Amino acid sequence: MSGATTLARPIAQRPQDPAASRARRSRLLVALLVLAVAAAVGIGVMRGAYREGPFEPSSPTPTGSRAVVEVLQDAGSDVQVRRSTLDAAGALEEGRTVLVTDPSALGSAQLGSLHQAHAAGTGRLVLVRPDFFALRALAPGIAPAGILPDSTELSADGSCGAASLRARMITAGPVDSLAPAATRYRTESGSGVCFDGVVVQGDRITVLGSATLLANETVGERDNAAVALNALGIDRSAPVTWYLPSASDPMAEVRPGLLERLPSWLLPIGLWIVLVSAALLLALSHRLGPVVVEPLPVRVRARELTLGRAALFQRSSARDRAARSLRAATAVRLAGRLGVRREESLDALIAALRGHTDATDAQLRALLGPTPITSDAALMRLASDLTHLEKEIDR
Amino acid sequence: MRLSLTVRGALVGLLALLPIVLLPSGLTVALCGAAWLLVLALDVLLTPAPRRVRITRRAPGQTRLGTSATGRLLLTNTTGRALRIEVRDAWNPSAGLTAQRAQLRLPAQERRAVDQDFTPWRRGVHSSRALVCAVRGPLGLTRRASSLPVPGTFLALHAFASRRHLPSRVRRLREIEGLAAVHQRGAGTEFDSLRDFVDGDDVRSIDWRATARRRSVVVRTWRPERDRHVLIVVDTSRTSASRVGDAPRLDAEMDAALLLTALCAQAGDRVDVLCADRIPHVSVSGASARTVLHDVVAATAPVEPALVETDWEMVAAQIRRRARRGALVVLLTPIEPAAVQQGLLPIAARVAADHPLIVASVSDPALETLAGERGDITAVYRAASAEQDRMERAGAARALERSGAVVVDAEPGSLPQLLADQYLALKAAGRL
Repeated sequence: MSGATTLARPIAQRPQDPAASRARRSRLLVALLVLAVAAAVGIGVMRGAYREGPFEPSSPTPTGSRAVVEVLQDAGSDVQVRRSTLDAAGALEEGRTVLVTDPSALGSAQLGSLHQAHAAGTGRLVLVRPDFFALRALAPGIAPAGILPDSTELSADGSCGAASLRARMITAGPVDSLAPAATRYRTESGSGVCFDGVVVQGDRITVLGSATLLANETVGERDNAAVALNALGIDRSAPVTWYLPSASDPMAEVRPGLLERLPSWLLPIGLWIVLVSAALLLALSHRLGPVVVEPLPVRVRARELTLGRAALFQRSSARDRAARSLRAATAVRLAGRLGVRREESLDALIAALRGHTDATDAQLRALLGPTPITSDAALMRLASDLTHLEKEIDR
Repeated sequence: MRLSLTVRGALVGLLALLPIVLLPSGLTVALCGAAWLLVLALDVLLTPAPRRVRITRRAPGQTRLGTSATGRLLLTNTTGRALRIEVRDAWNPSAGLTAQRAQLRLPAQERRAVDQDFTPWRRGVHSSRALVCAVRGPLGLTRRASSLPVPGTFLALHAFASRRHLPSRVRRLREIEGLAAVHQRGAGTEFDSLRDFVDGDDVRSIDWRATARRRSVVVRTWRPERDRHVLIVVDTSRTSASRVGDAPRLDAEMDAALLLTALCAQAGDRVDVLCADRIPHVSVSGASARTVLHDVVAATAPVEPALVETDWEMVAAQIRRRARRGALVVLLTPIEPAAVQQGLLPIAARVAADHPLIVASVSDPALETLAGERGDITAVYRAASAEQDRMERAGAARALERSGAVVVDAEPGSLPQLLADQYLALKAAGRL
């Protein structure tokens, strides 16, 4: 009875639907992707958003300037960041202290505008490693006077006066990936120069000749911080504008690009040549009539099976199996030649071989009998011995 | 009908470069484009329809593999002006048409021929899938093409390389027919005539009564029986698809079947041929001795091996239906140990009980080469594998012989002759 019910029960086998499993897999993939994106966003937020770049006020990297900016802000200074010349000039006119991080990147129009604002207002300028052109526009009395390629410790002497910015000794020199060297400056009058020309004070202008005075990595060395902070007026809690010249500034000098140097007919000609090339490809790719498809019969080499089995033998090192078939084949051939019946035992074959070969019975038994083969070399030796034996009987 | 651009039609666009350089503007480009299209459209409008070229075909009827055949396309221009046309006769690639395309100029109201050489490299029916004719415009910038309904087929027959062995076998056959002594007396032989005894004749065939009447010793001669029935069964299953040398086994089997057919026709026997795997595919039966070879060649030309297993029960039923008791049955099938054990062996025993049975098989000469290789360890493993294959084949052949069949297992090049010799031996022994 129970057997009958077992048979009658329908086989509740859920059909394996390939489409469903594919959908399940793709859903898993989407989930993984969402997880990865979320993790990336989370890591980004935890890391804190900052802008990477030289003297960036928010950047904590060795070349940033977050250290100086934070100290200024803690001391009550209002620090704003500006990236265009017009903003910087406006701030200068308002009387703020404007730090120009890269004066050499400014074009002549930008420098002129800054100079006008400096002359019109009461703001102070702090220039970091200005070049000759920037100095000629902004501070005609100051000029570059050589470089300091190595890191050097410089101390203030008696002739400094206010230009020492209340520091005794600074470290000047190159900063990795920021400035290859420190620059020395001189003034026409010879006054206002300190630290061997690395710091120069002029009329509402301070020139800092070394990037070490501002970069996070080196600002802590010696009295570098004092120079930077005092130059930016920390004692007066002066409002500071951090001006980072940028390429996107509308006043940045625009050089004529490659496209504008090209002749005016080039664009229409290019368009036309593209058209003609497309037409040529179309013409060349023309095929007269259909592609003819012909089903060809399958043809497999008959020996593939044999070779495949040989590879299997070799991969699994089936030496005994290989030896057995080699021995059996030789034994069958010898038996046929010597008139021994196929069904008879090995002893009969060895007895028949006795007169025809120099080998002893024991040797023949080892050669033809089921002696285990332990290495590839032994198998090769067996194969050549069997061939040799057959040749001997042939003679 | 399809329109297409010629290379000249595309390059003509380069003429517009000068005006564009002189007046570089978008308007010039647009105007040049319009002018280009206008010229192309004009060319299309002036081109006559390809259907106004009348094409007829003279296809080769049939040809043997390894030889060439010639066909011909005849193109007639029915329009009133000369046409430059391209034709493509799209035969299947194995038809071996040397040039599918031809370009020619057809003067008005005239006819031209395009000669075609076919060297087929595959047996069977070859056909032209399409005949496309394209007419160039008068400016040569565009062409109008269309496919014309001109069907063409021809049959590539089996190469029948073994036919060069036919004369020698026929001579042997005549010798047997005129032979003084057939070594078996009684059933299956037919009394022919008396002649003088010569050395080597079987003494049992001496006719003593006739000898008593004459001074010399006289023997009876027996002629092999004529009008016997021979059924050749060709296996077209997967085992016949394997390639031995350069050709599949089936080709060698066909070669053997054709030689045997020709020989049987010469011997005055009636031959039927059956190609079968899961189902009987092609059969030639009841053909007269004069036409049987041609019928068999034509019927078996399109036969290709299929990747299926042979249904030997079906084959046995077919043999029972087609062959009378005592008719010679020739099975052309590779001796594959697995296939023999599974299907062929019991059937062979049953068939051999009623008929003389020959099982002819194509062996792979590569096995012997492999078995003799020594060189390195890979070669030794290959030799072992090949030896195992050979022993298994020999075992299967022995099993077939034990069940009453005569086994002919030979390389592709020598199978036809050996099969013919086996047939002659049976004939000489009077077993037919």
